[in-house]
Amino acid sequence: MFRCVLTAAALVLFAGSTFVHAQKQTIGAPPEASNMKLVGTNDLQARSAYQPTIHRQGDRWIAYIGHHGGTDDVPAPVNPMTGQAEPNGTSIVDVTDPAHPKYLRHLPGQEGKYESGGAQMVRVCDGKSLPKGDPSAVYMLRTFGSEAHEIWNVADPANPALITRLSGLKDTHKSWWECDTGIAYLVSGAPDWRTRRMTQIYDLSDPAHPQKIRDFGLPGQEPGSTGAVPTELHGPISTGPNGNRVYFGYGTNKGGILQIVDRDKLLNGPKEPTPDNLRLPEISRMPMSAFNGAHTTFPMLDMPVAEFAEDKDGKTRDIVMIVDEAILNECGEARQMVWFADVTTETRPMMISSYTVPEASGQFCQRGGRFGSHSANESMAPVYYKKMAFIAFFNAGVRALDIRDPYHPREVGYFIPAITQATDKRCIPVEGGERCKVAIQTNNVETDDRGYIYIVDRANTGLHILELTGPARAVAGLPKN
Amino acid sequence: MRSAATIAFALAALGMSAVGAYQLGPSPTPTSAHWREFAWPFPRDGWPAGRAFRCEGGACDGAELYVRAKRGFCNCDSGVADDDEVDRVADIDLITPRFTATTPGEVVHVGEMHGRARRYDLAIYDGASHAAVGIAVSRRCDLFVAAAQGRGDASAMQHAALAFLETQEMKAWMTAALDGK
Repeated sequence: MFRCVLTAAALVLFAGSTFVHAQKQTIGAPPEASNMKLVGTNDLQARSAYQPTIHRQGDRWIAYIGHHGGTDDVPAPVNPMTGQAEPNGTSIVDVTDPAHPKYLRHLPGQEGKYESGGAQMVRVCDGKSLPKGDPSAVYMLRTFGSEAHEIWNVADPANPALITRLSGLKDTHKSWWECDTGIAYLVSGAPDWRTRRMTQIYDLSDPAHPQKIRDFGLPGQEPGSTGAVPTELHGPISTGPNGNRVYFGYGTNKGGILQIVDRDKLLNGPKEPTPDNLRLPEISRMPMSAFNGAHTTFPMLDMPVAEFAEDKDGKTRDIVMIVDEAILNECGEARQMVWFADVTTETRPMMISSYTVPEASGQFCQRGGRFGSHSANESMAPVYYKKMAFIAFFNAGVRALDIRDPYHPREVGYFIPAITQATDKRCIPVEGGERCKVAIQTNNVETDDRGYIYIVDRANTGLHILELTGPARAVAGLPKN
Repeated sequence: MRSAATIAFALAALGMSAVGAYQLGPSPTPTSAHWREFAWPFPRDGWPAGRAFRCEGGACDGAELYVRAKRGFCNCDSGVADDDEVDRVADIDLITPRFTATTPGEVVHVGEMHGRARRYDLAIYDGASHAAVGIAVSRRCDLFVAAAQGRGDASAMQHAALAFLETQEMKAWMTAALDGK
């Protein structure tokens, strides 16, 4: 009897210690990982990071990383390379040797804190791929805080040169740039539109001379309209002239909409923003639950699905992966997660599957900060495209999904970086004040053509470069390491 | 067998107490001299339900007021910066998606929060004119919104709604709602 009591007590103690360990990250503790391992890191000068874009320039690989504005405690961190306090902007890091990333340059952004400052978004195109670009140039398109889009020549990534600025805007955000045509879908708030964010389409084939094509949004958002205002845009992804589709995602954590648009009609149709003209290029629209948004709408067209291989019809499917963004700390909202929509019959898109990190696997609602999805890698390089997706899941790190059967996505790996002295706290209101915790906040993820995975942290923990290990490599067809 | 019966009894008792709590929880409470609470009249959407009140007597007689918190729905730094923001967030679209602003909005304060209020005509085809007022105020990244509708004067309705929101009971509830309680 006594032995039973002792055993039970030991079990309770063990369970308790596991629970505490799972809840709280501590400085010095190792990262949590499965089938993914750390290759290299950079602290990004302890700046809150949004979007990484990895670009091959000759024999070099350069990471361009957009930042949010500063924090209440540190509005403008000191750049150790200049000794100056600089508002968060864009970090430029040479990742040619991913085990030893070399920080090249911090390009300051707009003054301001959190979402109001910095330079969150980055896209990069080679001048030689743009129809009217300077063949010797490499162009970086970035937001400048919330008020402008900028294009820089980063052919020498340590010494960028400003080419163009499109200003007078509000709430600039997650743009898309077709490197083969130069058409850019710039997410902004135009002063006279009724929504915070809509699309301004530009021809940036000659980055030095931007040509406006049109404004676009959902009917009800345009100037002069009345009544209910549809959910604001988050960002589009285009398949270019060959695919002739643009997939627009509206909403972040609420009222999401996937809109499928005919690119040719969008670019060449009537441009006056009337309700009819805004409706004309739309092929279909799939409203999501009011609980979820559409932060990222990533197309994966013509995917062979093994389960359907013997079927007379529908062997391949057009899939759009939709990723919501969690907004509130410590699970203060409905779960934001990943959805897969079958858009093969374009006028009748249908949600077919979903994925979330199991909360109980890490007591993530108690860890602090946001728990839920935010974004996916957007590279369409063959190494992972239509095989694996990587999802930034805030305090649950990055998650590697096997998506070869999009009807049954399956997690095959994860990596949650360790926190450091630089990791910023995340707070929630409590009676008479705030209660704060410190946890990793993996915000965005991108991959390069070599198969490295780059994750960046919203809570100032920097850049982590990862690679797959074990069975996860087989999913992508990578050789064993 | 006896233990199964005991468990069944306990579950039944728990169920009964849960039902009792549900029935007792949202009972109407006289919150001020002129506004009486009634059940939230709208279907579930992306935000948790708020509270609804009907004005009895005075200049706002018959008007209805719907209030709720929208956490994480605001620009943390600029707050409710313009009238378009009020159009988007103030829940007028719960009443009808067809509404037209009648005047430019104005700056308003509720407790320590500030934002904007705007007046609207509603397209409700029952032969009568309906006016509405949308109010949106912010606390950092969170919004508190109110929508009032009625057949009376919009200005009087706005005045009465703001006065009601300034009562201690409503301010305490707003703080709790914005704290996620």
